[in-house]
Amino acid sequence: MIVAGVDIGAATAKAVILSDNKVISSSIIPTGYSVAKAAEAVTKEALVRTGLSICQLEYVVSTGYGRRAVPFANKALTEIICHAAGVNSLMLQARTIIDIGGQDSKVIGLDDDGNVSNFVMNDKCAAGTGRFLEVMAVVLGVEISEMGTISLLGKEPCQITSTCTVFAESEMVSLRAEGNSRENILAGIHKALAHRIAIMGQSVGFREKVVFTGGVAKNVGIRKALEDEIGLKILVPEEPQIMGALGAAILAKTELASLTEDNI
Amino acid sequence: MGNYYDKLLKICGFEDKEIKKEKLRIDKAFERLKLGPEDMRIAEEWVRQNHDVDLVGVRKLLGAWVRELIDLVLAKDEGKKIVYYGFPSIQGPGMAIKAAAPDELYVSCPDVVLCHTLGQIFNKLTPVLEAGEENGLPPGHGLCTLQTIRVGGLAKGIIPVPDLVTASSYYCDMGSKTDELLHEKYGHRTVYVDGSMDSRWGEYPEYLPQRVEFLGAQLNKLFEAVREVLGVEVNSEAWDKAMSTSRQLFRSIGQLTRLAMADPMPISSVETGLALQLAAGSTGRAIAEGPEAVDILCQEVKQRVDRGIGVVEKGAPRVMNFAASFSDPTITHMMENAGLAMAATLLTVPPPKAIQLTTHITPGEMRAEREMQVGLYHSSFGLVKRFADAVRDFNLDGIIWGYQYNCRPLAQPSHFLKKWVEDNVGVPVLSLEMDLYDSRNYNAGALRTRVEAFAEMLRVRKTVAKI
Repeated sequence: MIVAGVDIGAATAKAVILSDNKVISSSIIPTGYSVAKAAEAVTKEALVRTGLSICQLEYVVSTGYGRRAVPFANKALTEIICHAAGVNSLMLQARTIIDIGGQDSKVIGLDDDGNVSNFVMNDKCAAGTGRFLEVMAVVLGVEISEMGTISLLGKEPCQITSTCTVFAESEMVSLRAEGNSRENILAGIHKALAHRIAIMGQSVGFREKVVFTGGVAKNVGIRKALEDEIGLKILVPEEPQIMGALGAAILAKTELASLTEDNI
Repeated sequence: MGNYYDKLLKICGFEDKEIKKEKLRIDKAFERLKLGPEDMRIAEEWVRQNHDVDLVGVRKLLGAWVRELIDLVLAKDEGKKIVYYGFPSIQGPGMAIKAAAPDELYVSCPDVVLCHTLGQIFNKLTPVLEAGEENGLPPGHGLCTLQTIRVGGLAKGIIPVPDLVTASSYYCDMGSKTDELLHEKYGHRTVYVDGSMDSRWGEYPEYLPQRVEFLGAQLNKLFEAVREVLGVEVNSEAWDKAMSTSRQLFRSIGQLTRLAMADPMPISSVETGLALQLAAGSTGRAIAEGPEAVDILCQEVKQRVDRGIGVVEKGAPRVMNFAASFSDPTITHMMENAGLAMAATLLTVPPPKAIQLTTHITPGEMRAEREMQVGLYHSSFGLVKRFADAVRDFNLDGIIWGYQYNCRPLAQPSHFLKKWVEDNVGVPVLSLEMDLYDSRNYNAGALRTRVEAFAEMLRVRKTVAKI
């Protein structure tokens, strides 16, 4: 049984190929302008290593904001459902998922069976998303990949008062002019983002095990700041960015199995 | 050769004879609204895509709305004295004022009329919103978009300047503040009907008699102003007439909403919303045409129920949607396409039985007491109790608490109310920030992920509950 999950986000497109219960390949590429083209490209890239083609996929589930524009998908499911399925497949004890992507953030509560019991999203404001970090990285002249590590060196995090990414950008200029170190400013930025997530997630509640997914999960500084905010240890999968695509692939397998059962 | 609007009006239930008779009025109104042939073409497509026009009752409701729009636009030209009220408003005073002098007065909530016509029929509300933003209520300030529509409609000259406005500040201060600014600009008389929506958490259903006295006195003040400004007496006869005619309408709507609760859901809540909001926004066509339109619709819906025809799958999770979008039917359709049966809205939950506890001397006090008992205007606790009643009475699987983001009484307690319902009533609540009147920033696409995830969550819960 060869199935695929395709997650088309605002910033990146991800694909996971599943053969029976095993992930045999995955891929991540920038989404770019055309969602349909990105979906095809990321799936093909993942398939290259397997020697298979798109038409050999028996079932495809798409997810993410671009899920409805994937022409070869059999079904489209929300990223909330897919992230839950993906995380649950790796960590049965997961009860809370924090997903921070390029343009939105989510806190998802799972029941004891791994089903979504509650969720909250913030996709109206960039201040709690990867976009916030991208903007700050440019202003502070650091690589995004280094931000988290540098932030851990800041022992006196600056207070970031703005709740808007655009205004926070202006605030960075003032903080630098006042002589604050880059480490302390970055520590403050990470703390601000984590604080927003913690407040947002209160309506869902944080229960262990807490799993962190999405591209921002690769940032060790955000992970530490979140742990400080919620007072719980946070687990990060080896490939946090593909959890949605993984979940989509798992759900593709389930859908295919139930179709096969119906036919029988 | 026919008129450029014939096709659309026929979809909206107009007969040839009526179009011919009303041609001058229709031409004048559409010209003032700047609705030309291309707008009609767009509207035809929009109405066919978004309204169940196979049902005669739906066509008649659409027709009632179009006629209300024409009445509104031409009210001053036709020599009517004009009274506007706000939304939400206490049901009754508007109808009573109209009943006191039905041929002399035009009485409505123009913002609600524009939403349901320029929005739901013509898909052309944006220019009105933009005019409102350019004329005193700029975007990005969290201002009530219903007020923006009022300001825009006046600025564009598509709704006439009224003779009297009743500013319903008992619920929210934004309406009354906007009316204050409009008074400065246009000079019309404004009567403030103030009240107190505050009480101790848990107090409902009790209330202080002073609240009844105060709100009652405010309503009586309104009727004094009507006498003074318009020379019209809103006496007990007018009240009785208003109550008896509106009772017929509400009885029909009650029957419709009960039929709409069937499984599978036989009619979209876009259409039940057309009926409900006609009763809220109009005092003319709602009474003149509403009962017949809704009765016909009830018969048609009953046939669907008997045949098991639904617009959503049988067994779909049943939710209460706080309120259907007033101006954009695609949002409600998106929710239903996600596989949710909109079994109720806040307005379809039957109110508690009326009990007279205070001594009423005036119709205003009588009305005020009723509002305290219904709960919506009593307090946040009164509001959330209606949610709890709905879950029990309508056998709901969840609630979509689609709160108006810029409405202080609704937005402020939105997350708290979600938690309370989940903890005390035991069903999931989707706290969905939206705009019931202006979907430019809260369109179906923007809200889809949350709604679809919620729908999926409810389906899984239902499946697990069965095992």
